[in-house]
Amino acid sequence: MPFYWILPVLLVIAAVGYVLGRGRAMRSADGDARNLHSLPNYYGVHAVIAGLVPAALLLAAWAVVQPIVVDTWVSQSISESRMQEAGSRGLAMSEVRRLAAGLETAVERGAITAERARSASQSMDIDDLREAVSGAGIALTGNIAPETLENAQRYNRISAVGSAIKTVLVLLLSLAGTAYAVSQTTKEFRARKSVEHGVMALLIGAACLAIFTTIGIVLSLIFNTIEFLRLYPAMDFFFGTTWSPSFTGRGGASQLGILPLLWGTFYISLVALLVAVPIGLFAAIYLSEYASKPVRGIAKPLLEILAGIPTIVYGLFALLTVGPLLVSTFGDDGWLGVDWMDGGTAVMTAGLVMGIMLIPFVSSLSDDIINSVPQAMRDGSLGLGATHSETVRQVVMPAALPGIVGAVLLAASRAIGETMIVVLGAGAAAQISGNPFESMTTVTAKIVSQLTGDADFNSPEALVAFALGMTLFVFTLGLNVVALYIVRKYREELE
Amino acid sequence: MNQETAVRNDRDTTSHLPNNQIKVSARKVQVYYGDTHAIKDVDVDIEDRNVTAFIGPSGCGKSTFLRCINRMNDTIPIARVEGQILIDDEDIYDKRIDPVQLRAKVGMVFQKPNPFPKSIYDNVAYGPKIHGLAKNKSELNDIVEKSLRRAALWNEVKDRLQLPGTGLSGGQQQRLCIARAIATEPEILLMDEPCSALDPIATDQVEELIRELKGNYSVVIVTHSMQQAHRVSQKTAFFHLGNLVEYDDTETIFKNPKDERTESYITGRIG
Ligand SMILES: Nc1ncnc2c1ncn2[C@@H]1O[C@H](COP(=O)(O)OP(=O)(O)OP(=O)(O)O)[C@@H](O)[C@H]1O
Ligand SMILES: [Mg+2]
Repeated sequence: MPFYWILPVLLVIAAVGYVLGRGRAMRSADGDARNLHSLPNYYGVHAVIAGLVPAALLLAAWAVVQPIVVDTWVSQSISESRMQEAGSRGLAMSEVRRLAAGLETAVERGAITAERARSASQSMDIDDLREAVSGAGIALTGNIAPETLENAQRYNRISAVGSAIKTVLVLLLSLAGTAYAVSQTTKEFRARKSVEHGVMALLIGAACLAIFTTIGIVLSLIFNTIEFLRLYPAMDFFFGTTWSPSFTGRGGASQLGILPLLWGTFYISLVALLVAVPIGLFAAIYLSEYASKPVRGIAKPLLEILAGIPTIVYGLFALLTVGPLLVSTFGDDGWLGVDWMDGGTAVMTAGLVMGIMLIPFVSSLSDDIINSVPQAMRDGSLGLGATHSETVRQVVMPAALPGIVGAVLLAASRAIGETMIVVLGAGAAAQISGNPFESMTTVTAKIVSQLTGDADFNSPEALVAFALGMTLFVFTLGLNVVALYIVRKYREELE
Repeated sequence: MNQETAVRNDRDTTSHLPNNQIKVSARKVQVYYGDTHAIKDVDVDIEDRNVTAFIGPSGCGKSTFLRCINRMNDTIPIARVEGQILIDDEDIYDKRIDPVQLRAKVGMVFQKPNPFPKSIYDNVAYGPKIHGLAKNKSELNDIVEKSLRRAALWNEVKDRLQLPGTGLSGGQQQRLCIARAIATEPEILLMDEPCSALDPIATDQVEELIRELKGNYSVVIVTHSMQQAHRVSQKTAFFHLGNLVEYDDTETIFKNPKDERTESYITGRIG
């Protein structure tokens, strides 16, 4: 039974469990709900939880465990010679998996019969099979060795058996859970309490899922980074000043120094912050201290619309509008006549546009922080005969400063992680230079280009993306932690 | 009331001799918060070089009226003030009057202590710096020390002037705010319950300060303590539900009030 049949069946069992549980409770109370410990619905829900939750957990666990078991099982039957041909056991195994999936899909689409997918074995058959499989739209690379075909068939066989066992076990578990819950139901049974436990378990489950996903992502970053550092010397990566990956050779030919990328990242972020912080801060001061209610009511949402524009649109804006504008000013024939800029893509282009993107970010955070400075503090200053701007400068700003620093750090961490604007606006040249009108590139942009290139996934050229991602993550995490710490400290101080 | 305060009171009343010039003169003052009519038709004349006490039950509008005198109600968007208030015969709600300059002349100590998130020193030096009252650093130091001494706080903070003012206790903050207000040498000092968080000793010292200030300034003090009003003030105004019920010499108010509401309040029957 395919996966998408199990769910409806489970739901039916749950519905039946609900009716049975509720009915039995009512009967045990002689039809009067006041004799029950809990409201009648709780008995039904109790049966539903007992029928669904353990079964769903088993389903989820099985989905994780089965591929691993099947993989280990099949990979044992890969021969030495096959392993050498493919390069490693892992690579041979991934061929098997690809072929197995191809066969499945081909059968599903009706390109070959299930019988043929199961039994094909002659070398003649293999060629036919390949044609049939690719006819169904699945490309198989390289030659298919008879052994691979055999293993793929074994893979599919074991998986099918596993799935069948899974279906049976899950349904049995669901039935057993329901039956147990219903049999437990008497009028004294504290269904309300057990539902409470069920709800709590559900909430804990959701929280755990979120946390474990995060941990999983970080772990995968870490493991792949370690893998990369095994293939490529860490010193060259962290302190290398040249970034020139080659996609032809495996290692050796590539120079993967992160410094030019970090330099580009920080340079562009710096330009962006130089644009965003003053403008955003002044806008926030105007909005929170000077603007009248109606003006604020219009201006604040308008400013926040900026925050809703997708970054790719900013990227287009950088590429098509700001870049050419800058070239016509600072370029060869520009009206300043300085010839500082050759092409439209440059640190300045990306930095300016990213700065515009960050303005609403800085301004709305700062606005909140300035607003949380108590009115009594302003009154104190005004009451001493200070003007409005003196009050803002000498009392409100110092009080809000830590919070604003936090806001700026958060903005900085967004700038460092920003991708689309730099892909389109900053260019692709990885270089360390002080000239903001030159094209440079960032860590994020290079992650994109390393992964969209056709490097082998296990090569350092592709794995470096994880190391870059990890570096970026460490920087932004650090900034966020510091920023949040400062913001929280500031909140405590005002209260 | 004990013997001592009675004696001191005598001394005060004898010390305020004929210089009863009118410093602040309010006529038909109305204050609205949105639709709430918080101050109704208040007429009052506050004398120079004298202490005037505002008493009345909570919510009757004492703070509101006090805030009219230095136009602090301007900072509340929904507040609207009508009528006329003259200080030294100038209408302070006139368009030509700059509220900023007015507030330098009419200092205020707020009901809730509101020190700036700065050091104790900078809190007190704030006003003098803004108004350029000190020619140099040592003059500024003198102003700060003198103000803190007069506010009876110097001994407690002289060793930690650079620590934040927000770190002081409630009563210390209150005295810090008093020091901050007198550091700018205002001509009129409005004090909204300046002793509400102070112990008897500090209260005594602040009252001493008020008597001293009276020599040069006009002081208006809001208080919930009848004894305090009696001890420090020469004139007392009793507010009730936004109305100025009775305004007279303190002695008269406390000995033979004309209005029965005044009498019930000071004897503790309404409040
Ligand atoms: N900012 C404000 N907005 C709206 N209404 C206000 C505001 N401030 C005061 N009020 C109202 O005006 C009236 C007078 O308040 P006010 O603060 O002047 O009283 P008070 O006499 O100082 O009382 P207390 O002795 O408790 O300090 C009260 O009814 C109060 O609810
Ligand atoms: Mg008050």
